[in-house]
Amino acid sequence: MKIEDVVCTFCGCLCDDLVVEVENNRVCSVENGCTLANEKFMRDHRLKNPIRRDGNGWKAVSYDEAIRETAEILLDADRPLLYGWSGTHGEAQSVGVHLAELIGGVIDNTSTVCHGPSIMAIQEVGHPGCTLGQVKNRADVIVYWGANPIDAHPRHMSRYTTYADGFFIENAFRDRKVIVADVRQTESSAIADEFLKIDRGGDYAALSALRAIVRGKGDLIPSRVAGVTREQLFRVAEICMKAKFGAIFFGLGLTMSPGKYKNIRNAIELTQELNRHTKFTISPMRGHWNVYGSNEVFTWITGYPYAIDFARGIAFYNPGETTSVDILMRGECDACLVVASDPGAHFPRACAEHLARIPTVQIDPHVNATTHLATLQIPVAVTGIDAEGTAYRMDGVPIRARKLFTGSYPNDQEILEKIFARVKEAKRS
Amino acid sequence: MRVTLKTRARAKPRIPIEAETIIPQNFLQKNDVRVYEGNKERKLEDIFFITIEGPAVSPDQVEIVLTGDTGVIKRVGEYMNAGRIIVEGDIGMHCGNFMSAGEIIIRGNADSWLGREMRGGLIRCEGNAAHYCGAGYRGEKRGMRGGTLEVLGNAGDFTAEYLCSGEVHIHGNCGDLPGVEMRGGVLTIGGDCTRPCGNMTGGTCRIFGAAHQFLPTFRRNGTEDVEYNGKRCRMAAFRGDVANRGKGTVLVRED
Repeated sequence: MKIEDVVCTFCGCLCDDLVVEVENNRVCSVENGCTLANEKFMRDHRLKNPIRRDGNGWKAVSYDEAIRETAEILLDADRPLLYGWSGTHGEAQSVGVHLAELIGGVIDNTSTVCHGPSIMAIQEVGHPGCTLGQVKNRADVIVYWGANPIDAHPRHMSRYTTYADGFFIENAFRDRKVIVADVRQTESSAIADEFLKIDRGGDYAALSALRAIVRGKGDLIPSRVAGVTREQLFRVAEICMKAKFGAIFFGLGLTMSPGKYKNIRNAIELTQELNRHTKFTISPMRGHWNVYGSNEVFTWITGYPYAIDFARGIAFYNPGETTSVDILMRGECDACLVVASDPGAHFPRACAEHLARIPTVQIDPHVNATTHLATLQIPVAVTGIDAEGTAYRMDGVPIRARKLFTGSYPNDQEILEKIFARVKEAKRS
Repeated sequence: MRVTLKTRARAKPRIPIEAETIIPQNFLQKNDVRVYEGNKERKLEDIFFITIEGPAVSPDQVEIVLTGDTGVIKRVGEYMNAGRIIVEGDIGMHCGNFMSAGEIIIRGNADSWLGREMRGGLIRCEGNAAHYCGAGYRGEKRGMRGGTLEVLGNAGDFTAEYLCSGEVHIHGNCGDLPGVEMRGGVLTIGGDCTRPCGNMTGGTCRIFGAAHQFLPTFRRNGTEDVEYNGKRCRMAAFRGDVANRGKGTVLVRED
């Protein structure tokens, strides 16, 4: 059976034009997908049942047993951490927040290691953003700063920017100017009209210099800023100021380099400055398919987008203090529930070591690096394949991920609701 | 009155203790002082051995001495408005948050957000301070608004972020972006730092070591002579950050 308009739940682009063929509860082929989408749909090797660590090996346990044990671990903890959430749907994320509040834990999502600094900057100076549809139809200047979409978001350029013709842009490839700023040459920089090769850690200075030029204070800019010549900075500033509609997209090259959220703030303030001359927007290149959704869900329930500490019964937010990496590095938490992410693969070694020391439960369909640190793993259905749910695209547009077939696994929401019910019952008694 | 709080051994010593209740005014009367250990509320005596010596009729006559494993105790001195706190070792995050008067002496190191948004009084840290020393809370447009914060050792990144008023004096080195978004007050750095005062709109920053990766958006504005540690120093004066309004002053030692 061929299913059309399938949503790809891999990256923040949430491409919704895939054609997927399904036979006997298995995906047989994928059309329109990028390499990442093909891998996600076609190489879906799941864990068969919940497993518990047993000495040096693993022992199969029932779902009921795994849920009971998870509830007990969370109830016993004085500082539990609930981490992940970006690889599941909004309905499950919502249960996660309520669970964190119930147990007085810290709940954090993968923004903590990707675009958390972007959110902090947005909280300081706002977000002059727009939807990807606006960019596709209007933008004649595109800036990718610290991002390599050809590798990380392979269809971003073909669906929304360089290769996507729009309502006001009839011949996108020729009519759109592309500027790439990065510390090294990439496949994306190879197709740029201007490539700003910035010295490592020099983004803040380059952005400050561009702001000064756009403000008309370019006379004090020296001959070279962070490896970029004065002439090129002036050229780029002129391209941006003469644009009819410009769009900046930034990635982890900006959020995770020295200066972190101050880099993003500087980029946002450059965008605001450019809006004195023309229309310009700025947007983060979100990685996990529903990391934006986790920020939305957390915010509408608690007021904060990530790193929320319920230890005192109220929501407290302070990245650097209540973020997972910091909590794990300091060895604060005494239990961890990992949902739909893989901190074992992405976190620093000291964090992984602490996860291995404490009771760690993972709710995830696949065996991954975190499995090797966990005490217990509960496999679930994959949203977008055998589970449905709401996700948010990188520009904040909600999209419903479809279920392609009905499988035998429960979904994240069902498992979390059962854990929540057990914890609530135990608290009441 | 002298109150001595000595930490007891705990089963999970890395779990932080939130102790904003440890301020002089709370020890004047025999209040039921409580703190949080993770998500559990504890009596003060569950966490500390408590010794009280002498009387006091006002908070400024109260001196609190913290000893033992104090490096994980957060928020000591939060909203403090009189009296004295002496920490014999290290102290956890947010020490002296929003304090308006009184004195905090830290013999060891201080964790992040030392003197966050303090309004008045004195904090003296004899060791090093971590990131965000004398800074503001997330999203807050004004950081420290008054008082004096002195660190005899080094300080981490984003020192005196959003400094509005008062004085921050770091005798040693600072990390990245000290005085970022600064809009008033005086920041003095005795040692080196990196990218000082990005996006500043006001105030004065004095750097007596090297300012690495100095931002290109500061305009040279002659020289000034400044006295520091009993010596007269020739300082290069800059106005900036012109990427923003550019009304701040940065003085960097020349000789």
